[in-house]
Amino acid sequence: MSQGSKGYWTSPDRRGAADGGVSPASGEFSVMSVGDLPALPRRDFLRLAGFAVGATSLIGCSRGKEREVAPYLVAPEEVVPGRAYWYATVCGACPAGCGVLAKALDGRPVKLEGNPQHPLSAGGMCPIGQASVLSLYDSQRLLAPLRDGNASDWPSVDAELSAAFERLAQGSGRVRFLVDSTTGPTERKAIERFLARFSDARMVTYDPISLSAIADAHQETHGLRALPRFRLERAEVIVSLGADFLGGWISPVEHTKAYQAGRRLDRHEGDFSQHIQLESRMSLSGSNADRRISIPPGTSATILAHLVDRVARHAGTAPPWQALPAAPIEGRLIEDLARALLSAHRGHAVVLCGDNDSDAQRLTNCLNEMLGGYDSGHGRALIDLARPSRQRIGSDADLLTLMTELEEGAVDALVVRGANPVFDLPFGPVFAERLRNLSLVVSIGERVDETAQHAHFVCPEPHFLESWGDSEPAAGVVALRQPVLRSMGATRPLLESLAAWRGERRSARDQIRDRWFAEVYRGARDAAGFEAFWNQTLHDGCAESEATDELAGEFRKSALSPSPSAAPDAPALPAELVAEVYSSPQVLDGRHGHNPWLLELPDPIAKTTWSNCAALAPATARSLGVATGDELEIEADGGAKLLLPVVVQPGQHVSAVSVALGWGRAGTERFAGVGPQWLEGEATVAPGERVGTNAAPLMVAGTDGIAYSGLRVKVRATGVKRSLATTQRHHTLFVPAGLARAGHERRPIVRETTLGELRHAVHGAAEHTHHEHPSLYAEHPKSPHHWGMAIDLSRCTGCSACVVSCQAENNIPVVGRDEVFRSREMHWMRIDRYYSGDGDEVEVVHMPMLCQHCDNAPCENVCPVQATVQSAEGLNQQVYNRCVGTRYCANNCPYKVRRFNWFDYPRQDRLQNLVLNPDVTVRSRGVMEKCSLCVQRIQEAKAAAKIAGKALDDGDITPACGQSCPAGAIVFGDMNDPESRLSRLKQDPRHYAVLDELGIKPVVGYLAKVRNRTEPVGTVNHV
Amino acid sequence: MNGRLFSTLLICGIVLAGISLVRAGGRLQLAGIDQGYQPVQPIAYSHRLHAGELAIPCLYCHSGAEKSRRAGIPAASICMNCHRFVSATMGAVRAEEKAADEEGREPRSLVSPELAKLYQAHGLTESLQPDPGLEAMPIAWKRVHSLPDFAAFDHRPHVAAEISCMSCHGPIETMDRVRQEATLSMGWCVRCHRETTPRTEAGRPVDPPLDCVTCHY
Repeated sequence: MSQGSKGYWTSPDRRGAADGGVSPASGEFSVMSVGDLPALPRRDFLRLAGFAVGATSLIGCSRGKEREVAPYLVAPEEVVPGRAYWYATVCGACPAGCGVLAKALDGRPVKLEGNPQHPLSAGGMCPIGQASVLSLYDSQRLLAPLRDGNASDWPSVDAELSAAFERLAQGSGRVRFLVDSTTGPTERKAIERFLARFSDARMVTYDPISLSAIADAHQETHGLRALPRFRLERAEVIVSLGADFLGGWISPVEHTKAYQAGRRLDRHEGDFSQHIQLESRMSLSGSNADRRISIPPGTSATILAHLVDRVARHAGTAPPWQALPAAPIEGRLIEDLARALLSAHRGHAVVLCGDNDSDAQRLTNCLNEMLGGYDSGHGRALIDLARPSRQRIGSDADLLTLMTELEEGAVDALVVRGANPVFDLPFGPVFAERLRNLSLVVSIGERVDETAQHAHFVCPEPHFLESWGDSEPAAGVVALRQPVLRSMGATRPLLESLAAWRGERRSARDQIRDRWFAEVYRGARDAAGFEAFWNQTLHDGCAESEATDELAGEFRKSALSPSPSAAPDAPALPAELVAEVYSSPQVLDGRHGHNPWLLELPDPIAKTTWSNCAALAPATARSLGVATGDELEIEADGGAKLLLPVVVQPGQHVSAVSVALGWGRAGTERFAGVGPQWLEGEATVAPGERVGTNAAPLMVAGTDGIAYSGLRVKVRATGVKRSLATTQRHHTLFVPAGLARAGHERRPIVRETTLGELRHAVHGAAEHTHHEHPSLYAEHPKSPHHWGMAIDLSRCTGCSACVVSCQAENNIPVVGRDEVFRSREMHWMRIDRYYSGDGDEVEVVHMPMLCQHCDNAPCENVCPVQATVQSAEGLNQQVYNRCVGTRYCANNCPYKVRRFNWFDYPRQDRLQNLVLNPDVTVRSRGVMEKCSLCVQRIQEAKAAAKIAGKALDDGDITPACGQSCPAGAIVFGDMNDPESRLSRLKQDPRHYAVLDELGIKPVVGYLAKVRNRTEPVGTVNHV
Repeated sequence: MNGRLFSTLLICGIVLAGISLVRAGGRLQLAGIDQGYQPVQPIAYSHRLHAGELAIPCLYCHSGAEKSRRAGIPAASICMNCHRFVSATMGAVRAEEKAADEEGREPRSLVSPELAKLYQAHGLTESLQPDPGLEAMPIAWKRVHSLPDFAAFDHRPHVAAEISCMSCHGPIETMDRVRQEATLSMGWCVRCHRETTPRTEAGRPVDPPLDCVTCHY
């Protein structure tokens, strides 16, 4: 690989500074001279020191309180205290329905991991799923039913509701049941059965982040209302118009698995797909694209029309239209896109469109039809309509009809389950107003959310780890959810509530078994009988059922509109912009707005925590005179005004302001006290405020659906400076320009190459990877194992599942906004995001950074108390009980991966201590900590091998980060075993060690990022 | 700053710290080491009787030592495996039989006062019938052997290596009330890890690790 001059930078204000350095006064590095130290007389110092010695010896000198242990009175069979048990179940954090394994220790779930047997998620997880175990221990979950906001109990609620439903059944019967796509098939069946007794009843399904237009468009073009399952592993070319399929679109874990399965370097060239992303904000998918083009928001339909036209011309068929409106992007780019799509084999190119606009989706279908994406050929089609996805089944039309009915007074009773329309719809306040006219509003959910506040009855449901359920994420894939612990309060599953209101008593498990016996088992050819099938499915978590293929019709060209719509006029910049809202990578549509792990998870791109932000292009921010952290007022047509901190986002289109949805949930005032309370500390939430701002007013409710971009807004800088907690400049690996000797500022941190270059110069990269450094120290033999890790930058998408997985596994505290602002976040694993490129088009590299476990670790030499030392197996050990907190090690760590406990971080919610992993020490104040390569898992695997009398096999140990990674980017193993996966990766020409030239021999290595481009050798540069 | 107050506090601190190092028996002991700790348990269960006289294997009750990190204190249901039938000492039963024989009556069923507590925990009467007036409650034993939170000890590899329980827990078969025999200090652990190589007393080949992360993580 060539050594060039491509510059990387982490935040726009660092761009252009020499090699990303910062001046000493501007942030992370502050210089204090000796003269600044406060004067302390010698005698006072000695007095204080003496007092401290006396006080500490006093504290340590008593036996702790007598401790009691209460074993079981009657031990349950097969439960050994202290031993972890794993249960296969279905994640309930979003409608994607990934398979998970829940680890239960002494009766409480403490960690979720991906279920490798699940056909869709195949062992991967997302950060939101990882964090959902914490929600189980949320003390603000509702644990008993409410009647008009007052505590009640089930018998009285049931009596009143049964009578009310009976009256409705005898009377008007106008009942609506509003659900979202997380509702499982048995639950839908039960709802339908429940509604059958009313004369005018209907179930309305909607998704807070709707993809209804895709299904609607397929109804028109293929005669089948379905959301196809995109099998991206078959794609050779992926062109995505605003569809963030790796981030929040339909099923990110499944897509990431498939996407990376289609981008393999260990086989021949055709196996590495090309991904082109056109979008107006910088999404996670865009940041991973081989090529990214920023487009004005709301112009997808016009671009698609041009693409259809161009592809038709290339294919020699007549284009559908005589005339086309002006293209919002250069014709050259459209030509490039058409050529790229046609370069793939027929049926191996796909166009994805993220707009919830049926016009754009019909054009997408037309284009995919021309490219053969629906052709089944051998096996399944790339765009599988025969076995469609069931992950988003909502219909905007149904929702809008319900709104009209509510307005007209055509509904008497509404039951809302799992949805929060008052919060997540653009007309939420109007919806709330209309609820007042109803005689009966029932809310079924986990907490008293914005909608439940307007309900007559609130019926609490258990957390998904406490309940039975089933799911069918795609036709032919069925999965069972099983409880891992008994409900913590008087909650009751939907299935049992519906049965109770019909006057029956039947447990949720029995109801699911009944349906499975009648409907699912019928298809499964299992000679061993239903009981065996049920037990096996419960054990595995999922099964493939014999679904019949859905019959899609021939493509109907007539479904296309006779003339393509023109792109909207450009807004009057910079005071007028086009708003775009999207599913938050942290809190999704808001349903996780109470989860502190997610609130403190840095946004994968902007690296912001504890708030959503208004992203502006650098040029727009300049002309508005704002910088990151300044407050922006966004005024929509309706007069709604939103106040949000600005984040200057390279890659953003100049006319777009984008805001994540799901923030600003009611009740997030509770987080005011999160983090340490001390003299200079600031509350995480200011009095009277919430965590973030709800961006729902920026959606557009049209006549046929809800659009997430296109709203014209007026923006104005308010002049207020917000202390926005972003981690993008924390723990930088750059050498500050002022501190480095000439020529030493630049360090090879990220490396990237192109597919073309890699194919031509496979051996060229080796020159970078094998530096031999003389050492003053004798080599420590590492035996019997030498643990190491390799992280493939080409596979890592930056989704941050590893960050939350590590947090859950290793008892990492939440520190609060103010502490993050002070660079004191505690995540052992962070994902550094680097930008590169000239002009407005930037490229992104995501680099997971964790303790590199150097064989010659610089932290070890400087510890005065030997609290960090090398193990015989190459781990850099951190011994908490020896650490006295000098922080010399953190100063000397070139990777900046050590974290110091400035406080005993209190858990804001004491109940959440139950999520702590008993296998890992909870660190106390004054102690340094860092990644241990999940040594507790190494010890567990070694103990298991010892007892079994076997040697450890490659793959027996997977650290938490690697387990969750949906892309398979993180590989852990033994470098002493030449046959291990890791050893083979270490021989890969792309393998390199970060800051290798320091001679510290890190055992964590990286594989250079590969972009699928054909540029000639030498034009792509590396740091 | 008030110098005199500080000096007084300092002297008090040093004196108290000194006193706290002197344990029962006049031995000096470092902070955090509880060698000799022998709390009174809610039921006067005797290891001397069960493990010594009756020679019940340790793992019969502490079966967790093979399967889990923790050996664990047995569930009260394990006690009932035998004490469903045995409710008093053999001596007392014989004496009652003899007395009954002499007096020409049926012998009364005897329940020792300690076992009465066990039955009570199960919510049973002395004739082992459910007592509606009693609430079944687990027995809260006093924990004797306790490591600090920053040290992780796993019983399984030690049991697998056939290290005798008494090597660490002392002559438990002679103790009526369990006493912490060893210091359970790090030096005590490490000494054994250094010396027990290449074979254990039982002849099993072992290679005990000496890394910090063996216990500290």
